[in-house]
Amino acid sequence: MSFLLRCPNCGERSVYEFRFGGEIRKRPGPEAGYEDFLNYALYKRNVAGVQWEWWFHRGGCGEWFKANRNTLTNEVHETVLPRDEEQRG
Amino acid sequence: MDPIQFHWNGSTVTAEPGDTVASALYRSGVRTFTYSYQHGRPRGLLCLTGSCPNCMVNVDGVPNVRSCSLPARSGLSILSQNQNVYRGLDSPAVKRFPVAPPLSESSHHYEHLYLQFDVVVVGGGASGLEAALESASQGKQVALLEKEPRLEQAVQPHPGITIFLNCSCFGVYEGNLVGAVQIDYGRPNAETLLHLRAGSVVVATGAFETQYLFANNDLPGVMLSTAVLRLIHRHGIVPGQRAVLIGDTERCAGLSSGLEAAGIEVVAGVAVESVVRARGKDHVTGLVTETGTYEADLVVMCGPLVPDVGLAGAQVVSLAGGAAGEGVADSPYVLPSSAQSTDAIACLCMDVSGHDVVETIEAGMGHVELIKRFTKLGKSACQGRMCQTAAIHLCSQVSGQSIAQVGKTVARPPAPPVTLGVLAGMRHHPVRRTPMHYQHDQLGAVWMDMGDWKRPRYYCKETVEGPAVSLQDHCVEQEYRAVRERAGVIDVSTLGKIEVKGDDAGRLLDLVFTHNFSTLPIGRVRYSVLCDELGTIVDDGTISRMDEQRYFLTTTTGNVDFVHQWLEWWAAALGWKLTITNLTAGLASMNVAGPMARGVLQKLTDCDLSTASFPYMDWRQASVAGVPATLMRIGFVGEMGWEIAVAAEYGSYVWEQVLQAGALPFGVEAQRVLRLEKKHIIVGVDTDALSNPYEAGMGWVAKLDKADFIGKVALARLKQNPLERVLVGFELEGTNARPDGSPVLVDGAPVGWATSVRFSWEKEKVIGMAWVTPAQAKGGTRITLRADAVDYSANVVEDIFYDTAGDRLKM
Repeated sequence: MSFLLRCPNCGERSVYEFRFGGEIRKRPGPEAGYEDFLNYALYKRNVAGVQWEWWFHRGGCGEWFKANRNTLTNEVHETVLPRDEEQRG
Repeated sequence: MDPIQFHWNGSTVTAEPGDTVASALYRSGVRTFTYSYQHGRPRGLLCLTGSCPNCMVNVDGVPNVRSCSLPARSGLSILSQNQNVYRGLDSPAVKRFPVAPPLSESSHHYEHLYLQFDVVVVGGGASGLEAALESASQGKQVALLEKEPRLEQAVQPHPGITIFLNCSCFGVYEGNLVGAVQIDYGRPNAETLLHLRAGSVVVATGAFETQYLFANNDLPGVMLSTAVLRLIHRHGIVPGQRAVLIGDTERCAGLSSGLEAAGIEVVAGVAVESVVRARGKDHVTGLVTETGTYEADLVVMCGPLVPDVGLAGAQVVSLAGGAAGEGVADSPYVLPSSAQSTDAIACLCMDVSGHDVVETIEAGMGHVELIKRFTKLGKSACQGRMCQTAAIHLCSQVSGQSIAQVGKTVARPPAPPVTLGVLAGMRHHPVRRTPMHYQHDQLGAVWMDMGDWKRPRYYCKETVEGPAVSLQDHCVEQEYRAVRERAGVIDVSTLGKIEVKGDDAGRLLDLVFTHNFSTLPIGRVRYSVLCDELGTIVDDGTISRMDEQRYFLTTTTGNVDFVHQWLEWWAAALGWKLTITNLTAGLASMNVAGPMARGVLQKLTDCDLSTASFPYMDWRQASVAGVPATLMRIGFVGEMGWEIAVAAEYGSYVWEQVLQAGALPFGVEAQRVLRLEKKHIIVGVDTDALSNPYEAGMGWVAKLDKADFIGKVALARLKQNPLERVLVGFELEGTNARPDGSPVLVDGAPVGWATSVRFSWEKEKVIGMAWVTPAQAKGGTRITLRADAVDYSANVVEDIFYDTAGDRLKM
C-alpha cells in the first residue's frame, strides 16, 4: 500500500503519514441493546468498493478527517474535515 | 598502481582495471562459477547482464551476489555456492537457497532516501535517455535510473536530469512510488533504498535474451550471445576457440561475423529444433545435433528476446524502446524432443527440468501459473527471465495449446531480488529522555526502556559482592524503605499528560471515561479508567479539573498517543467544541511520597500542605522552589504524596531542590513493589487485551447510573454475567524465587497466570497478583505457580498487602 492521501489541511501525502481509523459508523445510542453495540464494535461491513472512512494525520497536522476511498483500487475520491462537512450541511 | 587481487575459493585472482568479478574470474580461466542448489550441477556464465542466476557467488559472507554486476576490488573473498551439494555432502531434502548471516552494525551501510521527481525513467539506454531528455526539455525534473555503472552513451550534464548509476529499480507501486536500490560498490554492503515519488514513470528497461531448452543446456560454456559479446567488447576476452551457434538463421549469421572478427572459429549455426544435447562433463566439449556432432568449446544461444516489463506490475507506466517491444521480433520456435529430458534445465534457480514441466502438464496443470506453483519454476532469483519463455513453448508443444492459451505468469515486484537489510535500513531506535535524565545518570541510574523512554529502574552507586540480582535487591530495598519510612521522589515525566479544554470538555470526558467529570468540583482529582465499547480496560489515569472548562489528564507512559488520538477522534466524530493538547514533552513531573513528604515539600513552598487545606485527591497551583507548579495529592505507591508538574525547562532545577530538601530518589522497580503491596494495577502488565473492570476487582469504576459512556452497555452485561476469571493477590510459601509471568496451576491444570511477582519487605515474603478462575478467588486458597519446571506453592490473599484502610494516603 503506497497511495497518496490528500489531507484537508496539509495536502497530498504518502499514506504512511496517516493512521487508518476504519469505516465510518454511527455509534448506537445509550438506549440500544448489547447486540447493537457488539455489531457496532466488532462486525464491520468490509465494503469491497467505495466507502467513507476515518484517517488521522499522525505525521502531520494531527487531525482526524473523513476520506471517500475505493478499497479495491485505493483511489481516494474526496477528503473532508468533519467541521467543514458540518458547515456544508 | 597496485594490481587488483581478490580471493576465489582459496586461491588468488588478479583482475584488470574495469573488470567485474565475473570477467576477472573468466579471464583467469574459471569456468564453473557455482553449483545448482538442488542437483549440484556445475554452472558457468550465461547472460552477463544480471538477468540469470548462474554467476551468483558468496562475497565476504553474503550469498547470492551476482558477480557480473560486482566490480572487482582488492581484498574481496569470494566462494562459489552449493559446493557441498556438488560433492554430495548435503542431502537433497535439506537443500535451500543459501541464507545470509546477520551482519553486524558496523559491517553494513543501509540507508533510505525519499525523493520526488516529475518523471522517473527506468533504464539509461538509448530509449530511456531520449525519454529523459524530452521531458527535461519541457522543464520537468527527471530521474534516470541505470543499473550499470555507466550509461551506454556519453551524455552532457543536464540541469533537469539526475542520473542514478548502479541503481536497480525493483518495482513501481501505487501512487507512482518507484522503489530502487543504488549500490555503492566501493564499500561492502553499502546500499541505498530510493523511494522515488514520480508524476509519471517511463519503463525503458529494454529486452533481455532468454535461453533455449535442450539436454545439458546449463553446462558451462553454453552461453547467451549477450555474455559472449560483453566478454569480447567490454572486457577484451576471447571466450573460446570453436563455437556452435543455436538460433534463427538471421541472428546466427549476424553473430557469426562478429565472433570471427574476434578470432573465434564458428563451426556451425543450427536451429534449436535439431539439438540433441550439449556434450561435456564440467564444460561443454561439443554439441550433438540430429544432423551431426560438432566439436566446440563454446555453444552460443541467440536466444529469444523478451521485453523486460516485470517491474511495471499492475501500475500505469509508459513503456519505451525494447521494453515496449521495439526491435524485438516475436519469432516462434520449435523445441527439440530433448527439451523434455531430465537434463534440460528450464528453471536454473530451482533446478526444474523440462521433464518436471512435462510431468506437471500431464498431471493436468496446463497453465503456466499452475506449473509455476507446482514446480517452483520462475519463483526465485531471476524471476522467470530464463525459464518462462522456454516453459511456455514447451507447454504449448506438449499440450497442443497456443502460446496465448498457455498464458504468462503475473509479474509482481520486486523484479530483481532486494536484500532484506536495505529494506530494513539503518537500525536506529529513537530515545526519549526526561528533563532530569542526566541527574539520574549521576545518581547511578540503571536504565530500563519503557516505550521510547529511558527510565531509571533503580539507582546504584555501590559495589556489592555477589550476583547482580542481590545488588539490585539491595538498592531497591533502600529506595523502598525511603518511601515507606521517610520520603522518596520518582521522576514521572514519562507519564502521558493531556489538557482538554472547551465548552464540551466535561461532556467528552463523561463519554470516554467510566466516571463523571462534568460534576467533578474544580480543585479535585479523580482516578478513572478508559474502556472500549466491549468494556475492556484500555488505559487508566487521573483527571484533574482545573477550571470550569479545563481538565488535566494523566495516562500511562505507553498509551498517551493512543488516548490523545482516541479523544481527538470522538471530538471530531461528535463535532464537539474543545481543544486537546498533548503536554507530555512540555512538562516535567515528579512524585514525592512517604510519611515525611509533607515536611520535605513544605520547605519549598508556601502552599499549606496540611490535610485540612490540601486533602487527598486535591490539586493546587503553587510555587515550588520559586517555580510555578501544579501539585496533585495522589498516591500510587500508597503513601502520602504529591505529584509536582512544572515546565520541562525547570524540571532538573526542581528535582535538585527536592533532593536537597531531603527526598531520596527511587526508580521504577521500587515503585513496582510499593504499588503491588497496595494492589494498584498497571494497565498492560496486570491487565491484558480482554480484561474488564469486574474481573480486575475494580467494578467500582463503572458508573452504570451515568446516562451514557463508552462501554456502558457491555459493562452492564458483564456485571450480570458470572465472572470467568479474577485478578487476585497471593503470597508465596517458603521461597524468595520470583516466578513472574508463570502459569498458575490447580490440580496440575493451568487456570491462569501470575502478572506481577515481587519480594515485599512489608510482608517479608514474595507476593504477587495472578489471574485465576473464581473457584480460587477466596483468601487462603492454595494455588501452584510453575516456572522452569519448578512448582511453587502460594496462598490467595484477599486483603491489600499494605495499609488496607488507606489511612497513610490521607495522613
